[in-house]
This record gives sequence, C-alpha cells and structure tokens, in this order.
Amino acid sequence: MLLLAIDSATPVAGVAILNEEKVLYEEFCNYRKTHSETLLPMIDRALKVCACSLHDIDVIGITAGPGSFTGLRIGMAAVKGLSLATGKPIVAVSTLDMLAANVLPCEDILAVPLLDARKNEVYSAVYTFRYGTMQKVVEEKAWGIEELALKIREKKESLFKKYVVILGDGYYPYAAYWQEVLEESLLLPPEHLMYPRSAAMGKIALAKAERGDFADVFTLTPVYLRLSEAEYRLGRGEL
Amino acid sequence: MPKEIRILGIETSCDETAASIVKNGKEIMSNVVNSQIRVHQQFGGVVPEVASRKHIQNIVMVVHTAFAEAGMSYDDIDAVAVTNRPGLIGALLVGVSFAKSFAYALNKPLIAVNHLYGHIYANFLEHDNIEFPLVCLVVSGGHTSLLFMQDIENYEVIGETLDDAAGEAFDKVARFLGLGYPGGPAVERAAEKGVKGRYQLPRVFLDRDDFDFSFSGLKTAAMNLWTKMERRGEANVYDMAAEFQAALVEVLAVKTARAAEKYKARSILLAGGVAANSELRRAAQIEADRLGIKLYYPSLKLCTDNAAMIAGSAYHKFINGQFASLDLNAYATMSML
Ligand SMILES: [Zn+2]
Repeated sequence: MLLLAIDSATPVAGVAILNEEKVLYEEFCNYRKTHSETLLPMIDRALKVCACSLHDIDVIGITAGPGSFTGLRIGMAAVKGLSLATGKPIVAVSTLDMLAANVLPCEDILAVPLLDARKNEVYSAVYTFRYGTMQKVVEEKAWGIEELALKIREKKESLFKKYVVILGDGYYPYAAYWQEVLEESLLLPPEHLMYPRSAAMGKIALAKAERGDFADVFTLTPVYLRLSEAEYRLGRGEL
Repeated sequence: MPKEIRILGIETSCDETAASIVKNGKEIMSNVVNSQIRVHQQFGGVVPEVASRKHIQNIVMVVHTAFAEAGMSYDDIDAVAVTNRPGLIGALLVGVSFAKSFAYALNKPLIAVNHLYGHIYANFLEHDNIEFPLVCLVVSGGHTSLLFMQDIENYEVIGETLDDAAGEAFDKVARFLGLGYPGGPAVERAAEKGVKGRYQLPRVFLDRDDFDFSFSGLKTAAMNLWTKMERRGEANVYDMAAEFQAALVEVLAVKTARAAEKYKARSILLAGGVAANSELRRAAQIEADRLGIKLYYPSLKLCTDNAAMIAGSAYHKFINGQFASLDLNAYATMSML
C-alpha cells in the first residue's frame, strides 16, 4: 500500500511517501513561509522524486488536528481536492498521535506531546507503550499547564512510569516550568524529533488504512479542540 | 479556440461557499451557493473563523453538486478558477488550497480571479453588448470601489471607501437599530415604511471631487442622532432607516455619475450585494438617464457572492493563457487587480 502523507497542522509543513516496508520520501519545512505556498509544490516534488503519479497512490494521510486552525484547513482542503479528483481514500491522524510516534516505545515512559494553544494552554494527551504499541491514556484537549502537570503526575504514579518524554513546540514557552515539576523524570528527544514528522503520521495512517478506518471526503473537518472566540463569547452571553 | 471551454469556479472569500461551471464565459451550467447567513446571524455579522470552518466543511459537497447539476464529470472541465483576493484570508485559503490540488490532480490549468472583477463580470454573464468604456460601482459588505474599464481586460480602481464598506455600514446600523442581519435588506424593508428627510444625515464626501467614499462617519452620525431622538421619545425607526439609506445611496449614485462624466463612460455598471438595493438601482437609473447612457446591474442571484462570476470572468484569462502556478497564495487586500 502506497501512502502519501500531508501535514500542515503546525508551523511545520511535511510531505512523505511510504509503504509498509519503508519510508521512500520525506520533506520537512520549518522555514517561515506560508503553507499555502509551499504545500502543493512539496507534494509535486515528492511524487516526481518517487517517479509516481497520484494514480499510483493508494491512500492519502492527513493531520486531523489539533493545531493551527488555518494550517489544518490548508492541508485538509488540499487533501480534499486531491481525493475528490482521484477517488483516493483519506485517513486522518491526530497531530498528538503523530508527535507521540516520534518516541522510542519504551514501557517505562509516558509520552506527552504539547502543542502551543496560547492563553496559557496546550493541546495535549498522554501516551504509554506496551509491546511496542502506543496507547492513549489521557484524552486530547486544550489543557491548562498546571492542570496537565497534575494529570501527568497522577498517571506517572498509578502506571508506575519512570520517565516523562515531552515533545512539540508547546514545550518551549513553559520549559522552566516543566523542568521544575518533572525534575529528573523529564526526558526530551533530540531537536529533530520535537516536531510533527509526516513520515511518522504516514506510519500511523497505514495502520489505520489497514483496519479500514477511512475518513469521508465530504464530511471530514479538522479536530480543533476549541470553539472560535466568537462562539465562546456567544456561549457566555457577551454578544 | 478548438472547442467549448468549461471552467469550474470556486468562491470562498467571505461567508458563501460557492462553485459553478460556466461555458465560454457566458453560459451558466450550474451555480451552487451554500450561504452561511443563518450561522452568522447569531453573531450579528460575519465571524471569520466561523466562516472558515463552514467552508472546509462544505466545499466538497458544493463542488460535487456543481458538477452534478451541470451533468458533468470532474474530468470534463478545462480549467479551475478560484478567488484568491480580496477577502477574509482564512476563508480564501480554503478555496485556494482546494482549487489548487483539485486542478493539480485533474491536470488542468489553474486561474486566479480577483473577487471584485468577478462581481463586475456578473453583468457580462447576463447582458450582451455592454458598451465600453464604462465605470462600475462595486458595493457589498466587503467593498465599495469605483472602477474604470477601458475594455473587458483593462480596469483600474479610481476610488474606494477609506473606512467601512457600504454593506458593512448597513449591517452595523441595522444591528444598532435592532433591524436584524444582513443589514442591507433589513434597512431597505424598514425604509419602505418610512420617509427620508424627516431626519437629517450628512452626505459624506459628496463635496469632494475625488471618487473615494467614507461611511464610518455616516454610521456614527446615524447612531448619535438615534440616541438623541430616543431620549426625546421621538425615535421612528422607519424614518431613520429611510434617511440612512437615502444618505448612503445618494453619495454612491452621484459620485458614480460624476465618474461616468469625467471618464466619458458609455455605460454604468452596478455590482456586488448592495447593487441588489432597489433604492440604489432607482437613483443610479435617474443619473444614467440624465447622462443619456445605459445602466446595467446583475439579477439578484448574481449580485451576492457566487462562483458563476468567478468561472465566467476566468474565461478571458484562459484564452490569454494567464494561468497560476502551484504556489498560488491568497491575499486579504485588493492591490494588484
Ligand atoms: Zn463580494
């Protein structure tokens, strides 16, 4: 199964082509240029380098969210266009799952991807690994930093984990805080694994496609994990 | 030209998700518009993030329906045209990103269309033999611009609003007066029951000899006057609506006519959502008759945002081979028509 993975959920844009055996191509861009300009040329390059066309692709993988609202929509709109035109199925993968997949799957760690959600919050979830399989033990949402720290401590104790591996750009604004609360249990991956990687997403997408877990091109929408500002205010009766 | 040219147009610059297929820049084969008005009504105006979310949710169904209604399969089109400016940036990006990859996957050329030019072109979809040169007033919730057109491909902006768009002023005043959203039709309905001139509002910029507009001051004047009248217990919402509409329409119609005179235009065109306003149509007709030139405006369905105007206006770019590349971006602002 040949899969084209497309990610523009965060400041990173990534495109990969892979199958069950290996990653054939991966392009990663964390340079300040808008995804709307870079993404399609990246897709075009990936296909050209792998000497294939869209028709050779079996499945398209896309980051479902959370992340930057606009970034998510740029990637998803692009994937919808490709899928509608070619009839190729789509698999959507959580940005947090994708980040957690950067971690070496050891049984004595918790993996905690953090995406900066501003307003003193991070989009996060908590993962463990068992026999090499990733398991989400705390659900995705926009967490207050301290609330999340408590949750991590609770899981670390109840599941008898030794280390907490933190990933993602949500780490940096609160680095001092995490160092203080997690002390020696804090582990950070090398910098190149701190970011979402389209190849990692592609691997998860392949597994989902194997299980027949496809998204509907008509109804697929990003997982924002947050209402828009205006909807919040409406809910609070301020409008 | 070897054959009939069929272009898919995609429009997501504000709060309508739209797709249309137009043949040879003239014949509308389908024109699908998914309006978000009801969604934004609760906020009293278009919320950009909410609009973007609706676009990504609806775009595929809207495009698919445009093909179904035209009785065509995806591969039958000759090009994909998309609005890439001006508009709400997040909203534009959905249409642009979709259009680029759809065109790429079908191996068809991509054409970038300026939304304002699309509005103007709505007139050419419905009227034959429009005489050049002409001036066109594009008025909607997002824009108020006067353009001079030497011919179908050459146009320049000769004036525009320095603050609020005319439709935006309608929305804000309608909301202030409790008339509802969208403001244009709401004010128009209320104005029918009132009399203009009972209140006095300024004709802003009518004394200037350029072609720019300003509606923010008019809006504030209307609000202040209303508050004063309410305090006195003399407030009549219908008379206020009538005077506000008259003040806004008079400036639009008179300045458009002045531009037509100065540029020796042979036609006046109205375009955009506010061109649906019957008071504006009436006032512009009087001015055109006085100048002895023709007035054109699109039918109501083509005044508001739609994709037929985008697909139609892309025809000339197709003929001229003016195609966009894979790195096409979206821009919130007008510039570079
Ligand atoms: Zn418009």
